[in-house]
Amino acid sequence: MRRWLTFHRDLGLQLLAFYLLLIVPFLVTLLVFDRLVGERIRADVEANDIALARAIALETDISISNSLKTVEELSSYASVINIEEEKMGELFSVVLSTRPDVNLVYRLGADGIMLYHYPVGPSSTVGTDFSFRSYYQNALTSNIPLISEGRISPTTNQAVATAVMPIRSSSGEFLGLVGTNIKLESLSNTLSAIISEHANEEGFEILILDAGGQVIAHPDPSFLLRHANEILPDVYTQALEGNGGSIVEADLKNVERLYTYASIPSVDWGVVISRPTANAFATRIILQRITQVAMATFVLIGLAFWGILTWRVINPIEKLAPISEAIGLNQEIEQSQRTQIEKMSHRADQIGNLIRSILRMENSIAERMKEQATLLETSTAVVSSLDLSVVLDRILEQVGRLLNVQRIAIIALDEGHGEFRIRASRGLSQGFTEQLSIQPSEPSSVSMRALRVREPIQVSDTETDPSYKPQRARSRAEGYRAVLAVPLNTQHAPPTCLLVFHPTPHEFTNNEIQLLSSFANQATMAIENAILFERSDTRLQEQTRRLEALVQSMEDGLILSDLKGVIIYANRRVAELSRLSNEDMANIQVERVISRVLSNSIESTAKDEVRNILEGSNQKSEIALVVAGRPMHLRFETFDVTDARDMPIGRGVILHDITADRDLDRMKSNLISTVSHELRTPLAAIKGYASTLLAEDVEWDIKSQREFLTIISNETDRLTGLVNNLLDLSRIEAGSIKLSLEKCNIEETILRGAKRSRLESGNRFEVKMEADLPSLYADVPRLETVIRNLIENSVKYAGERASIQVKVNRQNDTIVFRVMDDGPGIPPEKSERIFERFYRLDDSLARVTSGAGLGLAICQGLVRAHQGEIWVEPMNAGACIAFSIPLNLYKASDDPL
Amino acid sequence: MNEPVVLVVDDEKSLRDFVRRNLEARHYKVLTASNGLEALAAFNNENIDLVILDLMMPHLDGLETTRRIRETSKTPIIILTALGEESDKVQAFDMGADDYLTKPFGVGELMGRIKAVLRRARWLEPSSNEEQLVRGDIRVDMDRHLVTVKDSPVELTPTEFNLLVYLLKHAGRVLSHRVILQNVWGMEYGNEAEYLRVYIGRLRQKIESDALNPRHLFTEHGMGYRFEG
Repeated sequence: MRRWLTFHRDLGLQLLAFYLLLIVPFLVTLLVFDRLVGERIRADVEANDIALARAIALETDISISNSLKTVEELSSYASVINIEEEKMGELFSVVLSTRPDVNLVYRLGADGIMLYHYPVGPSSTVGTDFSFRSYYQNALTSNIPLISEGRISPTTNQAVATAVMPIRSSSGEFLGLVGTNIKLESLSNTLSAIISEHANEEGFEILILDAGGQVIAHPDPSFLLRHANEILPDVYTQALEGNGGSIVEADLKNVERLYTYASIPSVDWGVVISRPTANAFATRIILQRITQVAMATFVLIGLAFWGILTWRVINPIEKLAPISEAIGLNQEIEQSQRTQIEKMSHRADQIGNLIRSILRMENSIAERMKEQATLLETSTAVVSSLDLSVVLDRILEQVGRLLNVQRIAIIALDEGHGEFRIRASRGLSQGFTEQLSIQPSEPSSVSMRALRVREPIQVSDTETDPSYKPQRARSRAEGYRAVLAVPLNTQHAPPTCLLVFHPTPHEFTNNEIQLLSSFANQATMAIENAILFERSDTRLQEQTRRLEALVQSMEDGLILSDLKGVIIYANRRVAELSRLSNEDMANIQVERVISRVLSNSIESTAKDEVRNILEGSNQKSEIALVVAGRPMHLRFETFDVTDARDMPIGRGVILHDITADRDLDRMKSNLISTVSHELRTPLAAIKGYASTLLAEDVEWDIKSQREFLTIISNETDRLTGLVNNLLDLSRIEAGSIKLSLEKCNIEETILRGAKRSRLESGNRFEVKMEADLPSLYADVPRLETVIRNLIENSVKYAGERASIQVKVNRQNDTIVFRVMDDGPGIPPEKSERIFERFYRLDDSLARVTSGAGLGLAICQGLVRAHQGEIWVEPMNAGACIAFSIPLNLYKASDDPL
Repeated sequence: MNEPVVLVVDDEKSLRDFVRRNLEARHYKVLTASNGLEALAAFNNENIDLVILDLMMPHLDGLETTRRIRETSKTPIIILTALGEESDKVQAFDMGADDYLTKPFGVGELMGRIKAVLRRARWLEPSSNEEQLVRGDIRVDMDRHLVTVKDSPVELTPTEFNLLVYLLKHAGRVLSHRVILQNVWGMEYGNEAEYLRVYIGRLRQKIESDALNPRHLFTEHGMGYRFEG
């Protein structure tokens, strides 16, 4: 795997592999071809040689066979058998003349002595005993022609081989033999001829061996009759054994040769052809050479290519990689590496180009980084404040630093005046900064143009730029020749533009403009931040004031303390209750304030209870106090103040004034007991008289019975009236009361009400009506209820002997009723509250007066339902409650209410 | 025995008349008053055997009237009230009332209570019984209706006296609420356990040296009371 990765990462290895991929099949093909062709060449050569050897063998065989046939034929001649010298001479001469290869024909006697030979020659061997000769010995036991081994004929003194035929009588007696000597030289001559055909082949040899291994024929006569092992390695024995074939062997001089052999079967001789393999396989060897050279060449080319590739391409790339990486990471490049790279950068090829472009990139990155660093530094300086004027000052300062200019201005839309004015500036005259004002629509103004197109605009020379002509007076006065305006892309701030002035004609470079634009973005952000902060700060303060006012005006006391119980905040109510000023309360313990509040407590355990709730063992506690002579109930509630992560950061205490709730509760329970009392009183009479009538121990006369039943009936009416009052009250409460207006006889209504109001016998009652009252439309039964309730009240409070007066008169568009008595009167401070439900003048009076405490509340509800008013009228003595009913009720609405 | 004289006090005329008519029909002598002040006046001028008093009255309410009567007299008092609340009853007993009736009530109920209260009161009248009851440091002179604790005299209302005597006579025994009520108040009673709570409490105040840790009058929870000498 790792190797695989390495391979993938190494271009050199990849190229090498690719090269091998191309070359190896080619080389393999070459090798196979070489092997196949080599084999073929060798086979051809061998087959050639074998054919040659066989041809020689055949030819020799024929020659030998002819000789043998000749001697066989000769042996049948009578003259030969009978040894007739003359006739034998004739016969033999014919043989000699027809057979150039035979140089002697002769006749041996039975004893082996030479009897005759032809040609007679100069050195005759007639008479010489040749019985030692092996052919003689063989002939003794043979009936067929024989051939002898090679030898030197004493007669001709030439190397010969002898073909002999034994001569036998008809009885089979051995009569000698006839023989011919075959010149070996003639065989050799054949070979010489063949060799001469192969004259171009150096070292080509042919030889014929007899059965004993002697060289019978050889192109070089000097080799004749030498034994084969003197000139050949042991390759000939195969031929002598009758086989044919070829073999590659080193000869006696240790030269590798191809030996090809064939046998001459009729005489057990052999033919051997040999030649150096170098000659025999010359083509094949050349082919092999070519293959080897080709392979070597490819390997060398490959190596050279790889080497060059590594040296020229891969190595530079490998060196370049870490450097470009270092550039990317903005790291320092080692000096040695830099030297190498610089050397390489002089190359003219693509690698050189690459290196040069990387070096250029490095430079540009470094430059950009530097620029960014400057920009960041300036931006940081600008955004580090949220105070707008500080921000503007810093922007000016940093622009000066960035562009190395002295005169800079920031102009912004003055929203009040609808024109642009200088908001902050540097290096400009006071007159200029104060007087400059540009209308947003001004076409020639550089800053307005920049703001319109939202891109920087420069005037490199105010004197030559035609577009600046209208402003030229301004630039001359202030003494600048070039100006660059960069708009700030504001959203929350008014439109703003940055202006940079140059005292001489100056073309602001792209780089400068770019830099200033980037800076302008940061500056915009800083300005917006400052403005938003200013706004949110104002809003926050406003919100805080509102909250403070809210908390201060709360009816409940609120104390917030830190975890140690030290007061952080307490509102006005707490100050009132504890009689401490806000300053007194700052930084003191909650407990001290609370104990001051509790100093008026009427319960001795109050302090312990409050300590308990402060310590968190109790969440709520209600404590009764007397404050400024008035009873008061406070409920203390504590709660944990937590931050956004629910971690406690302090404690809060709420001092809730529940006096009113308590009063209401008490009034409600009073109401219940009064209602209960009121209901039970008539019930008691009803039950009492009913049970009286039912009692069996007493007989009542009819008159009494009627009296009792009348009382029961009256008390039942009273009960019904009471229940109706309660129902009316609940309707008034629910706002669902419905009036049915009709024309009302006022006096009658008053008298009816008075009649039902249970005036005591001691009471004096009087009605005073103004004359000529207009007709009144009202809900008569309810008006009667109001009057009855008021009269009943008077009886209740003024007593059984009080005189009660009802006065009616017109007042504007209303009829005003006044119910007056001569009783104790109503204290002025209570004249408002008496109309509240359940309220009665004095709780102790609850026991005295048996009113349900509902009467006045019902009256008020009913009067208000008539769109009238009810009030207590101040009196010197006694009480007076008055109410008004509007006259135009019926007219005001077509529908009766 | 003479006709008992009953003073009926109520601000409601109808109720006052109802009580008066019934008592007169049953041969009681009846005086009426419409408020506490009138009642006190009548009480001081006449020889009254029983006062029937409404609680809620103008000028001088029933409770205050009871208290003032009790300052000088042991005459039995029956309270009439429209408030059925226990606290009202307890308050009434505390002031020295002997019994009470919640409005509305029937004639039978009224007459039963009147008779029972009068019966209890009658026991207090001087009798031939000269028995002296002594239990521990408590001594009761049945004849003179005198009670002394450690030789100092103790003032008791008739009902208190009767209750104490009953308890003393059955000292050491656990007495159930019902048994005590029926024997002391009368056979018409039996379920008014709150009467007992109030009276036992008041007895303890009068005869025990420490009412919170009684040595004579023990409460047997869920059962009743027990007296030890």
